[in-house]
Amino acid sequence: MKEFAVFWGCTIQTRFPFLEKSTRMVLKEFNLPFRDIDGFTCCPEKSLVNNVDHAAFTLTGARNVALVDEAGLDLVSPCTGCVSNLATVKSGLKADPREKGEVNALLKEVGREFTGIANLSHLVPFFHDAVGAHKIRQKIKRNFAGMKLAAHYGCHMIRPGYALRNDDPLDPKKFDNLMTALGAESLQFPTKLMCCGQGLDRVDQHDNALYFARLKLKELKAVGADALVLCCPSCFLQFDNNQFLMEKEGEKLGVPIIYFTELMGLALGFNAEELGMTAHRVDVTSFLQKWEAVSKMPLNGAGIDEAMNSAGALG
Amino acid sequence: MLEANLNIRLLEQCSRCEACYSICPSCRHLPGYDPREVIKDIIAGRFEKWLRSKSIWQCLECHYCLEMCYQHYGFENAMTALRAVAAKRGLHPPQVKRGWDMFAKTGRLGEPALPARKKFGLPEPAAGGAEEFKKLHALLKAKRSEKENEKQRAKGQKAERT
Ligand code: SF4
Ligand code: SF4
Repeated sequence: MKEFAVFWGCTIQTRFPFLEKSTRMVLKEFNLPFRDIDGFTCCPEKSLVNNVDHAAFTLTGARNVALVDEAGLDLVSPCTGCVSNLATVKSGLKADPREKGEVNALLKEVGREFTGIANLSHLVPFFHDAVGAHKIRQKIKRNFAGMKLAAHYGCHMIRPGYALRNDDPLDPKKFDNLMTALGAESLQFPTKLMCCGQGLDRVDQHDNALYFARLKLKELKAVGADALVLCCPSCFLQFDNNQFLMEKEGEKLGVPIIYFTELMGLALGFNAEELGMTAHRVDVTSFLQKWEAVSKMPLNGAGIDEAMNSAGALG
Repeated sequence: MLEANLNIRLLEQCSRCEACYSICPSCRHLPGYDPREVIKDIIAGRFEKWLRSKSIWQCLECHYCLEMCYQHYGFENAMTALRAVAAKRGLHPPQVKRGWDMFAKTGRLGEPALPARKKFGLPEPAAGGAEEFKKLHALLKAKRSEKENEKQRAKGQKAERT
């Protein structure tokens, strides 16, 4: 496997260092060839930077991609936004030689060049494609049989499809497949692919952000989800932090939010504390307790063989 | 120089199509959010009236419209364009202003949380690229004003001739 740099992005490193922790633990446990490299800046965030200045967006993204291009590495990120933004810039420049020329003329003055040879992946499709369900099943110590998990892809894990090309952008399967590989039931529900709505919090429309959080969380309650599993710090902010804020206002929805790397870490045998899950704002205890309870349940199909082969009326 | 633009010809199709309207989460859930109206006004040259509206900031950038679109365009492009114009006039939400200032100054939207990193036993964060980033953005600015001057000169010469 080609070595890759991890692109942590601003949000994880600023607000959720525990997500970096569980990601590192999981990558190490799978012996994946990852590295940290110097020089990355903000990806940059599309909804902020591209809305204000398209050239700054393109130039900043191209410089980040140039860093991995030059180092001969691929790039993997546990943040959907980062990958989507970088991939959008990369595919835009590859399709537009004139713009690429303009960008490289500027990059040259700081000694860099964008070539766009590096693969850019989000952690979830990366685990699906480069590690694979088979290897995951071999490696894990415990699975989630008996658990009902709701996967939230997060728009930017799969869209824009022309830039990411990693799954069906309107009917993705890979995150579901990973839930199944971990033994869980991956729930299907009407708002499954709906945007988390966190973007509204970044434009001073907090109430609208809460509206979207509530929509999905209520539905998850109704379908009996044991947890919402996601892999994007922005979605995490929306469902963990904003759910907590609603709880404080007396609206308790009680849906534990689990990061993909935490779910994987638990299956690998790490405990919730060392994975940093105690730093969540919405309590994950109900999820862990249910997991303990279903783990003690008899295995699927227990007793049928014995019953079939026991003595009876036929002698 | 790396200019943003809006494809009016494609937007004209949008104003007659509306296929993605039923899947757009903001259209479905936020009263008053209606890209069709916005697009009709852009085409008619009446975009100014949207610059102060909350609506243009309500696109979630979920890219559903882009994926649904038979033109591979997506009406989100209209929102991106109006946001950019609003920002140029200083009409963007305070939080966007703060975010932009932070980005322009440091090349990041926040610095790694060092005490928490220690607590979780995380390694020193890799060095950022702020210096080079700032240099690059200064170069971009210089190139832009060079272009702008050229434009002005050309205009001036034209005025002299007439
Ligand atoms: S990107 Fe914006 S306009 Fe397009 S479907 Fe999503 S919210 Fe609607
Ligand atoms: S973005 Fe595409 S699908 Fe949506 S209204 Fe416009 S043309 Fe139709």
